[in-house]
Amino acid sequence: MAVIQIEHLTKDYGHHRGVFDISFNIEKGEVYGFLGPNGAGKTTTIRHIMGFSRPQKGHTFVNGLNSWKNASEIQKNLGYLPGEIALPELLTGMQFINMMAELRGMRDMTYTNYLIKKFELDPSGNLKRMPLGMKRKLAIVIAFMNDPDVLVLDEPTSGLDPIMQNIFIELIQEEKEKGKTILLSSHIFNEVDATCDKMSIIKDGRLISTFVPDELRSSASKTFKFEFNIKEQFERFCSEVASQRKLEVIALKRDKNQAVISVDDADINSFIHLIADYDLKFFSEVKFTLEDYFMKFYGHNSSRGGGTE
Amino acid sequence: MFNKTIFKQTVKENLKLWLIITLLMSVFCALLIAVFEPETISNLSDIIKGTPLENILEQETFLGMIAKTFYSIHGVILPLIFIIITANSLIASQVDRGSMAYLLSTPIKRSAVVGTQAAYLITSILVMVIIVTIIGLFSIHIFQGDTAVNITDYLLLNVGLFLLMFAISSVSFLFSCTFNLSKNSLALGAGIPLAFFLFKLMAQVDDSLEGFKYLSLNSLYDTNAILDGGSYLAQFTALTIVGIVLYVTGMRIFTEKDLPL
Repeated sequence: MAVIQIEHLTKDYGHHRGVFDISFNIEKGEVYGFLGPNGAGKTTTIRHIMGFSRPQKGHTFVNGLNSWKNASEIQKNLGYLPGEIALPELLTGMQFINMMAELRGMRDMTYTNYLIKKFELDPSGNLKRMPLGMKRKLAIVIAFMNDPDVLVLDEPTSGLDPIMQNIFIELIQEEKEKGKTILLSSHIFNEVDATCDKMSIIKDGRLISTFVPDELRSSASKTFKFEFNIKEQFERFCSEVASQRKLEVIALKRDKNQAVISVDDADINSFIHLIADYDLKFFSEVKFTLEDYFMKFYGHNSSRGGGTE
Repeated sequence: MFNKTIFKQTVKENLKLWLIITLLMSVFCALLIAVFEPETISNLSDIIKGTPLENILEQETFLGMIAKTFYSIHGVILPLIFIIITANSLIASQVDRGSMAYLLSTPIKRSAVVGTQAAYLITSILVMVIIVTIIGLFSIHIFQGDTAVNITDYLLLNVGLFLLMFAISSVSFLFSCTFNLSKNSLALGAGIPLAFFLFKLMAQVDDSLEGFKYLSLNSLYDTNAILDGGSYLAQFTALTIVGIVLYVTGMRIFTEKDLPL
């Protein structure tokens, strides 16, 4: 049984805001990336997993328990990192850590102390005056402190400096090895790319794609970009490629005499055969990156067409 | 329904304001008791003997004066300020800021969070009134040793004050539980209790404005009825019921609602 189950989750806030018929499952031990631009519905979905909001339609379950009905039961074994850091004022970091430990009924602080050390957190200061980066680190420590089996992390690395981002990714990998189930939401592609086994992309409240990054990376087609020395040859190529069913034209740039073509691995030889007749200035593979794949869904220009120079 | 850790934390967070308000109330209470001179009234009575004003002053006693000053104004508005600010900070402001997410990401039930906050608000008002009562009793003993004071009536004034504040705080607490934004919680949670206070004052200005008293919860705290041996039990009961119903309603709303955390 999946550790986190989301079934037809719908919550309409009006004005096309909210989430609409979202379904996905996260299996035990999986690190699941939840990607989308700001305002796409990531936090709304997480609110329902946490039991803060009641779904209009559908359900969410954590370890088989209904999020809305058993919210406090679920929290016993769940760590949550809110997207917005709003810590209670008037406390020092350490007082806050101790309070959270008390509320969670924790006795053993070994792991908490390990995390404090790992993130070089100085929890002695007052929360109100703490710099943002320190607050973010504190929030991470709070989320992981009782070593829960399920982690729900909303934009975990925003506000962290690059060194801390790496330490965070390291922590996620450690947790993954321990068999933790992790939902990681983000609008930044790289933090998800580095850690996730599986991803869903959400846009305007709807899931638009769910995929396994490794499968996409080993995809059986490649993209090439090349430039012709002579304009006539470029024109000839343009007319020739139109009749080729095996080649997929990504872009033809008349001003630069450049072409971007996608080819199935199986057809690579005939493609080379074809291209050998031309006088080329350069020929290069356009590496497939998930970011491009991701950007495609954002509705901006696909960078595969030339944005990656 | 209750959590010790949260309670301790809440006491700490609100201690400063609570201390200031309690101190101010104690000072006003002691001062007003100290400055009362029985001769003033008897002198006045002599002057106006035979005039129509006589009847009014006839009933004027020490407790009557205290009831018209401290128990109508200072003793009401000060705890009101505490209630308005604190009720909002207990729930709505924590939801608005988002820090409520931390409490609710622990195994503590929502009902325990809101129950603890309600318990704090009620307890803090109760302790405040008890302290002021004790200060008052001491002040009476020290400054008005010669005046005949009906201690039972004095205590009843304070019981009534507590019940009024219990009912008023339930209004502010209800709105704190209902709204996710501080500004909305404050608009009603502060606006309505303040309106109650002003309506009661209006009603006392002139007979033609007496109708205003029906618009105010504060009218149920009828100091004249307490001091003149009138009926006050029904009003006390009404304040208690209003308080209980609104607190329970607020807690229910909070446990059932969507939280934007």
